[in-house]
This record gives sequence, C-alpha cells and structure tokens, in this order.
Amino acid sequence: MKLVKTGIVLLVIGGLLTTAAFVMAFTTAEVQRHSSTITLPEKPDTVFQAIAHTDDGFVYPRPWFSQKIFYFHVPVGLASFLVFGVAAFFSIRFLMTRRREYDTKSRIAMETTLIFVVLTMITGVLWTRAAWGVWWQWEPRLTTYFIMTLMIIAYFVLRNSIEDEERRAVYAAAYSCIAVVNAPISFAVTRLIPSASHPVVDEGAMAISNLIPFLVAIAGMLMVGFAIYVARMTEERLGERLAALKEKFESGS
Amino acid sequence: MSAPNQATAISQRSLSWRQFKAILRKDIVMELRTKEMITTMSIYSLLTMVIYQVALSQAGTGFDPRNIAAGLLWLAFVFTSMLGLNRSLVHEKDQGCLEALLLSPIDRPVIFFAKMVGNLIFLLIVQVLTIPVFGFLFLQQGSYAGELWMIPLVLLGGSLGIAGVGTLLATMSVNTKGKDFVLAVLFVPLMYPLLMACVSATTVAVLGGVDSEQQFWSAMGMIAIYDVVMIAAAYALYEFVIGA
Repeated sequence: MKLVKTGIVLLVIGGLLTTAAFVMAFTTAEVQRHSSTITLPEKPDTVFQAIAHTDDGFVYPRPWFSQKIFYFHVPVGLASFLVFGVAAFFSIRFLMTRRREYDTKSRIAMETTLIFVVLTMITGVLWTRAAWGVWWQWEPRLTTYFIMTLMIIAYFVLRNSIEDEERRAVYAAAYSCIAVVNAPISFAVTRLIPSASHPVVDEGAMAISNLIPFLVAIAGMLMVGFAIYVARMTEERLGERLAALKEKFESGS
Repeated sequence: MSAPNQATAISQRSLSWRQFKAILRKDIVMELRTKEMITTMSIYSLLTMVIYQVALSQAGTGFDPRNIAAGLLWLAFVFTSMLGLNRSLVHEKDQGCLEALLLSPIDRPVIFFAKMVGNLIFLLIVQVLTIPVFGFLFLQQGSYAGELWMIPLVLLGGSLGIAGVGTLLATMSVNTKGKDFVLAVLFVPLMYPLLMACVSATTVAVLGGVDSEQQFWSAMGMIAIYDVVMIAAAYALYEFVIGA
C-alpha cells in the first residue's frame, strides 16, 4: 500500500512539474537556436503561420510555436531511453535469478517504454513537419528510433505468441537484452554523425530561461513515468492476489 | 598437479569439436538427402527475381538497375534466409531432434555454433547460386566499375551475422504460435544495421567510385563490429533460450 501512496504522490508532483514546465515554456522561455540563444525582435504568437524571420541570414519558418515542443519531446524521448534501460536491467536480473517478479517488472517497464516511445514519435513527427517541412525523413536518429519502436512492438508480439509462461518470460528477456543495444546507439547517433540534421541538445549553451523549464520537464516526466510503472505494478499485484483468493475460495467451498 | 587438468581440458576441447562436427554433419547429411532447404530457398529467390522484374517494369529506359542492385540482392537474401532459418529449426522440432540434442551431454554453446555454421553454409550456397542469376537477369547492360573481389567478403560478413542472430531468433520463434511471422518481426529490426552496411559495401563493389576502397572498408568495419557483438550476445543468450 505504501507503494501506491508513493505512486500517487509522484504522479501529482510529476504532473505539477510538467505543467509548470509547459507554462514556463510558453511564457518565460526565450526562443533558441541550435547552439546559442537569440531573442527574436517580435513575438510571433500566431499558431503555425509561416513567419520567415531572417536574422543574420538565418531563416526561421514558424520559429515560435514549433520550438515549444522541445520541452515535451526531449524529456519524453530521454525518459523512453531510460525506461528501456530499466526494462533490460530487469530482464538480465530475470535471466540471472529466474524469479517471476523480475519478468513482471521488465514487462511493465517495457509497457511504459512503449507509451513514451509513441509520445516521442508523435511529438517528433509534429516538430519535423514544422521545422523541416516534411512529416518524415530517413535521418539517422529518426531511423534508429523507428527501429527501436519496432523492436518494442516486436517484444509484445513475441510475448503474445507464447503460451508457456516460463518460456515466454525467458524469450522476452533474451529479446529485450539484444534489443536494448539499439537504445545507446540511437541516443548517441546525433552526436556521432555530425552531419545528422536532427538537433543535439547542448545544455551548456542554453539560456537559463530555457534550461529551467527543460530540467523541470525532465524531472516531471521521469516522475510521471515512474508513477505509471508503479500504478501498473500495483494493478498486477492486486490481480495476482485476486486470482489466488479466487482459487482458495473455489477449492475451499 | 596441473598435468591431468590440462589433459582433461584438452580432451574436453576435442570432445566439443567432435560434437560440433557430429551435429554439423547431421545437418549436412539431412540436407543432402532431402535437399529441402537449398531447393526451397533457391526457388524462393528465383521467384523474388520475377517480382523484381514486375516492380521495375515501369521504370523506363533511363533507369540503371546497377544503382539499386545491392539493395535488391540483399532484399532477396533477407527473405530467403528467413525462410531457410525457419525451416532448419522447424525440422529439428518436428522430428524431436531438438529434445534429443538437449538430452545428450552436449554443451549448449556447441549446439549453437553447429546450427549457426550449418545455416551459414546453406545461406552461402544459396547466395552463390543467386548472384549469377541476378546478374544475368538484371545487370547485363553496362560495365562493372567496381571491384568484384569485394563481393565474397561482404557475403561472408553479412551471412555470418544473419546466421548468428537468425539461429537464436529461429530457436525462439519455432516455439511460438506464429512461427515464421514472429521470426520476421524479431529478425528485421535487429538486422537493420547489418543490412545497411552490407548494402553500402555491395553498392561500392558494384559501382566503384572515387573513394570506394575507404567506403568499403568502413562498411566492412561496421559489419565486423555487428557480427562480433551480435554473435557474442546470441551465444550468451542461447543457453537460456534453448533450455526454456
């Protein structure tokens, strides 16, 4: 029951932090460029209207609105990598100990990863349309992330097509151990290939007004992620207890 | 003190080697008798060529198939290898051979490497049969600017990765409800980096170019890294997978 309380508290704090980050992103945050921060002379507040702003020769189509997704997209993406890592960690623990709880933990972490991955994909595609003018581009980061999404979906396909419980757990753990190799590659690919058009987050060069909502959003998102995990875990445990009680009741009467 | 230990270590190694040869020989003898894997895979790759012809039929006369030859070739290899990998494990399971192998006192890694090498041999045979046919059907016009000695290297590197990861995944998928579908879903995303490197290296081998050598070796480096990492991972995980 203590875990449930922790989950609720985390959900509330995480939600508040994320909301605060959003408010800050739309009110206090400056408009930023890839590595340095500039302040636009006027504040374009019209949603998704093409505003080509040339400041030292750099064209910004729709600079103001599309940039706001940064405070959502990046924390969600970061969280997806982290939760994927947690899922793989539990998979390794499962293969080492063969205890069922680790399999459940790994599966639920994987479900959380799926949520985050889908959110990252949606926000990313929206931003790509606004910033690059296309919905999708086969660019290194997008490609590796797409592959990661497919792997996470494959994980659930694999789970669903095995009936034997022990075997399902082992195979799923083995697959997630291999699949997780892609997460650091996808994370580092924008740094390894400098020509990649996907922007790289450079915390050092960010203005304080950008950095604060960014960090707040990361903290909030991680808390929300952990709260989702805790909620699903509690549900799972309650379900198990219910099943055990049912069995006891049926055999008793 | 150390002498007997050494002796047992050596005999253990030669025992593993003999077990490895025995499993491999079993696979090859079975293939020679039934000729099932090679024929199905070859016919399947021929059928893929027919589909390519249909797909490229509207491309027009200005289109040079050499530009996408490598991609087409590896596409055919991926699909035929999935077919073959699935077959090689389905046989083992249907005839109860996998259980017998597990009951016999053989180290699990030996089973993995024997199955992997068996699959590798069949894949290479099919690839060697496919390439001339592909060249004959699609690449008759124009000359090859590239260096053809590169192609066997790419084939070996690519097939090694396919066989290594594929053996692990096929062992998993053969025990699922959706057998070959599950294999495809698991296999294709994991294959992506390898395919990318293989297509890049093969394109260089076909087309040539200014800095083709350098591009080729960087792609080969990626293939080598992939093979080492993935085969090590598959080797480590096989023991868990085959025992479950």
